Amino acid sequence: MTVSASEPRPASTLVRRRPDPARLVGSLWRYAAAILLPLALVVLWQLAGRDGAVAGGALPTPSRVWDAWKIWAFGTPTGMSLSPYVGTWAESVLFSAQRVAKGFALAIVVGVPLGILIGWSKLAQAMVDPTIQWLRPVPITAWLPISIAIFGIADFGAVFLITIGAFYPIVINTTQGARDVETNWIRAAQMMGASRFDILRRIVLPAALPSIFTGLRIGLGIGWTAVIVSEMVAVKSGLGYVLWDAYYVGRMDIVIADMVSIGLVGFLSDWLIVRLEMWVLRWRRLQSFNK
Amino acid sequence: MGMISFKSVSKTYGGPAGVLALDKVDFQIGEGEFVALLGPSGCGKSTLLNLLAGFEPSSDGVLTFDGKTISRPGPDRGVVFQEAALLPWLTVWENVVFGPKVQGVPKVEYEKKAREILEIVGLEKFHGALPVQLSGGMRQRVGIARVLVMEPRALLMDEPFGALDAQTRLSMQQLLLEVWQRLNTTVLFVTHDIDEAILLADRVCVMTARPGRITRDIPITLPRPRSIDDLTTTEFIRFKALIMAQMRGEPH
Repeated sequence: MTVSASEPRPASTLVRRRPDPARLVGSLWRYAAAILLPLALVVLWQLAGRDGAVAGGALPTPSRVWDAWKIWAFGTPTGMSLSPYVGTWAESVLFSAQRVAKGFALAIVVGVPLGILIGWSKLAQAMVDPTIQWLRPVPITAWLPISIAIFGIADFGAVFLITIGAFYPIVINTTQGARDVETNWIRAAQMMGASRFDILRRIVLPAALPSIFTGLRIGLGIGWTAVIVSEMVAVKSGLGYVLWDAYYVGRMDIVIADMVSIGLVGFLSDWLIVRLEMWVLRWRRLQSFNK
Repeated sequence: MGMISFKSVSKTYGGPAGVLALDKVDFQIGEGEFVALLGPSGCGKSTLLNLLAGFEPSSDGVLTFDGKTISRPGPDRGVVFQEAALLPWLTVWENVVFGPKVQGVPKVEYEKKAREILEIVGLEKFHGALPVQLSGGMRQRVGIARVLVMEPRALLMDEPFGALDAQTRLSMQQLLLEVWQRLNTTVLFVTHDIDEAILLADRVCVMTARPGRITRDIPITLPRPRSIDDLTTTEFIRFKALIMAQMRGEPH
């Protein structure tokens, strides 16, 4: 048997990259580029203020926000009065994050199998898809009264809203992914003796994963919106609650520190999904032009 | 084992008023026979293979495999696709053992065989690679290996080397000859390459388009075992001239 000269190297050399100085400089440059714009905005904002205030006292400067955040995050409560903005930051972040995690997990557990089913079976599509499309335009804020009526001012109200918000992008993208599976992958699996369930689990699900991840990223973003909205109205803890409460008592420094915190944890959770995606979809990354 | 029979089989696409892809095809393949189906693209040769694989239902006629009417795909008829159609998220090894695994064959039974077959197709070093990391020829070797590991009674090959460069195609033809001469399974090999058809097959069936029909059935009496060196013998050229003359007589 002859082997042509253009056979590629063994897999291991293709998957692992050696450390490369040019690449290191490249990634340093990317971090610097990413930080440049927010840094400029913060500097401008700081320069626009006088005596720690911007816009005639309506907003604090970044340095005052930073000071307020330090106390919110690391301060220890002293004296008689129990300030809600001393040393409670981590707790608030955790409250919100665990609600998002629960609601998001629930949305995945319901949305992915349902999406696979709708994409795979014409019957399921005919029976379920129209209902989803009717309910989808109803914004999560419109679900608030029902959520409070059923669950009261409680944790699960927030989880419920997050689930609803994250569900739509997950189910729609999963459906799309399951619909676009290459015919020959299905035929190959049938030819090798796979059952219908095997085909769903071993072909349709992995083939739909790239789309599913798109849905997960969008869904998670909506999940963060939902948690803040519901905590502002229907729950008495978490970043959304602190945001609204601080506004009522005129603590705009905490409001802004809270907003930045939401941005950061949202960004971090998205980054986690992206890392997971890169790991799960290695096969696809190797196929794409921009490795 | 591995007997294929088409009795007046027709296939129409798009309802009764649609396109007639196969028109009352009568066609037999005997046990252990290697038959090449030769014809231009669009003549219905892939349709014929798809019916036999059970991927599509026939519109009319009787189509049997070992006496049983074909109703669905199955591991008794291993299909090798033109673009290999490997599962891109599985490694070479996982692709090869996919069949036995989903059929519930115990690991101890299929592992040894899968390793042997990977060695035969020359990919034992690449068992952990993903399909995207392989060249077209190597991918097709995996496509062949995953079928051989199931020990099918017939191999259905749909222009398996059509997308490969000339040099790789030759090495794949050589590989297929070697493998087939060891196994002696029934093979239906669809191609539009006359050389390939003569080199590999016991019989070359020529198809014409619109409607799809088998118009010539030419036995290739070249001695076996064959190799790619046979491509330049006078015997070979004589068969090529014969087939080309017969094909020229048909409208395209």
